[in-house]
Amino acid sequence: MESIYRKKLGAALIGAAVLLAGCHSKNPGTTNSAAKGTAKRWVIGMSQCTLGEPWRVQMDADIKKAARKYPRLKIIFKDAQNSVLQQRAQIAEFVQSGVNLIIVSPKETAPLTEPLAKAYQAGIPVIVLDRAVLGNQYTCFIGASNTAIGRAAGKWIVNKLHGKGNVVELEGSMTSSPGQERNSGFRQAIKGTDIHVIFTADMKWQQSIARREMESALTRFPNINLVYAANDPGAYGAYLAAKAAGRAKKIIFVGIDGLPSLGLAYVAQGYLDATFRYPTCGRHAIAAAWKILHGQKVPKRITLPSRLFTKQNLAEGGQPLP
Amino acid sequence: MNQTTPRSNTPAPAGGPSKSDSPSGAVVVENPHEGGRRVGALLHWMGTPVARAMAALLLVLVLGTIFNANGSFFKIATQRDTLREVSDYGILACGMTLVIITGGIDLSVGSVLALVGVCFSIMSIHWGWSAWIVIPFSLLIGAAVGAFSGGLVAWFGIQPFIATLAMMVFARGLAEYISGNMEVSTAMANPDGTYHYVPVPAIFQSINSSVLGGYLAVVTVILMFCAAVAWLILSRHRWGRYLFAIGGNEEAARLSGVPVVGAKIGAYMASGLFAAVAGICQAAQEQQGDPRAGIGSELTAIAIVVIGGTSLMGGRGGMGLTLLGMLTIGYMEKILSLNAVPDAGRLMLTGVIIVTAVLAQRRRE
Repeated sequence: MESIYRKKLGAALIGAAVLLAGCHSKNPGTTNSAAKGTAKRWVIGMSQCTLGEPWRVQMDADIKKAARKYPRLKIIFKDAQNSVLQQRAQIAEFVQSGVNLIIVSPKETAPLTEPLAKAYQAGIPVIVLDRAVLGNQYTCFIGASNTAIGRAAGKWIVNKLHGKGNVVELEGSMTSSPGQERNSGFRQAIKGTDIHVIFTADMKWQQSIARREMESALTRFPNINLVYAANDPGAYGAYLAAKAAGRAKKIIFVGIDGLPSLGLAYVAQGYLDATFRYPTCGRHAIAAAWKILHGQKVPKRITLPSRLFTKQNLAEGGQPLP
Repeated sequence: MNQTTPRSNTPAPAGGPSKSDSPSGAVVVENPHEGGRRVGALLHWMGTPVARAMAALLLVLVLGTIFNANGSFFKIATQRDTLREVSDYGILACGMTLVIITGGIDLSVGSVLALVGVCFSIMSIHWGWSAWIVIPFSLLIGAAVGAFSGGLVAWFGIQPFIATLAMMVFARGLAEYISGNMEVSTAMANPDGTYHYVPVPAIFQSINSSVLGGYLAVVTVILMFCAAVAWLILSRHRWGRYLFAIGGNEEAARLSGVPVVGAKIGAYMASGLFAAVAGICQAAQEQQGDPRAGIGSELTAIAIVVIGGTSLMGGRGGMGLTLLGMLTIGYMEKILSLNAVPDAGRLMLTGVIIVTAVLAQRRRE
């Protein structure tokens, strides 16, 4: 990792050369470097809607990592850069180049239904991740439920606070469905208890905004028991605000996402008390792909459960939630 | 603290790109002493840009006194937090003031902030380099990026909006590329895909801390230093006078011997440098480098400068005005946050306040 960064930064300073290097290594289908010399039998096309979110970067990384365990898999990664049109084009390219299977994490459901159905009818298996497309013209959908994760976090919080306490809620962008669902699941779970949400703010998934809002909550309320944030960086921002005010030890911090380099790091270093993983589906997608390629049946819909990570269970890989 | 353009003393040559024919009337040349003699010193003072910028700030503070969130608004912690939260924007606004006074604009500051924040974090967290090497190197990156934009504007005559827009996109892409599009956190990947965790470097802790018994954030001290530097440049240095002259009338400035190209490149370079300082502060406050940091903060910086009363047309304004604009924006955000106003309401109220402040700044015809 270190040497990669050094190389990258060095290149960056040289200037324009880096752009060419960057384009070269990033865009045209980075291949799986495992299995040197062996014949690569299966080619999988993977279209990611955007790499502008850490969770999606992690999804690609998980797919790459999982594919290493299967020596005859070659994966072509494409990034649609947040554009539906580009993603449609990528699927058409996959069909034309004759890949054996398509994995897609769609930007939007409706516009991608038709090109994926065409690929499916042409006999190419299609695995859809995270956001389902309409109809049934695909082989398998793998995703997780934000509402369920919000509810699981809410239940854990009720238990942790013995059903009573003051909570600050830092919402994710409330114009996005993950933000709304993580909020509504949490609210369902604490309904009817003596847990009061005394302060809410939309921190738009951003740590710096979360810190600002938490500072306001801290000046206004002398008694805060817990912070529930819709993502881990948000919870970490709240922790930093409380730490600067000397109140971090009295408050419990709970986040969502559980990415290894972010949420789990915060839990391991004692900043957050708990994080709930929103699974990236990467490993499961490759496992399902392998089965499909070998003619085995897979369920049409797979909903992945969340995992709870606390400092106590981090070493054994978290605790599965129902 | 504030400067008026030397334009009123230098008649614009015929055919030059004079801006006095602007239909908004915002740049009409006037003699600031004309009204003062007639109506009295106080009224004259109330007509100055400083007084107008103070009026906008006062309006916001009155709102804060009314909607004080059970007295939270009056606490010392609130003042400290407000200043800390607005410091990053304020540092960006220092450089933005220099650029806007030349009649230009720098849209790249938010991306440069992210780029420098990411590089700063990689060098100090992942490589473990000393702060004495990392900080100069980070500042150099910002200055180089700024000088490049300045070169595009001054040498190649590309419009500032376009040149810095291109740099905004490029620097963001570079930040994403260098960071692998992930936050540069204290988690470091092992070859087998697992992670080990390293402590946060001391420099991150020091910039993130506070002084004076916890009543003043270190980033606010850094902001004050940056503002002092920008103020010295604008009001005490020849280069500052060049910037005003260029903003007033570039052709006239060139004809009267102002080194236009050098002075302009310098302004953009300073803007990049201040953006680098803001990037270091941002990374330290987040305790990690974030390639998505500072999206849209160039607009906040521009709003701060404009609310202060520095003209987007160039040639008129000052650092003191920018600080007043910064306090206006900072306190407005704090009041909205303390009262937990929902996001939709915040956006609308922010728009209303900006328009009100700018209307208060409008000069008499």
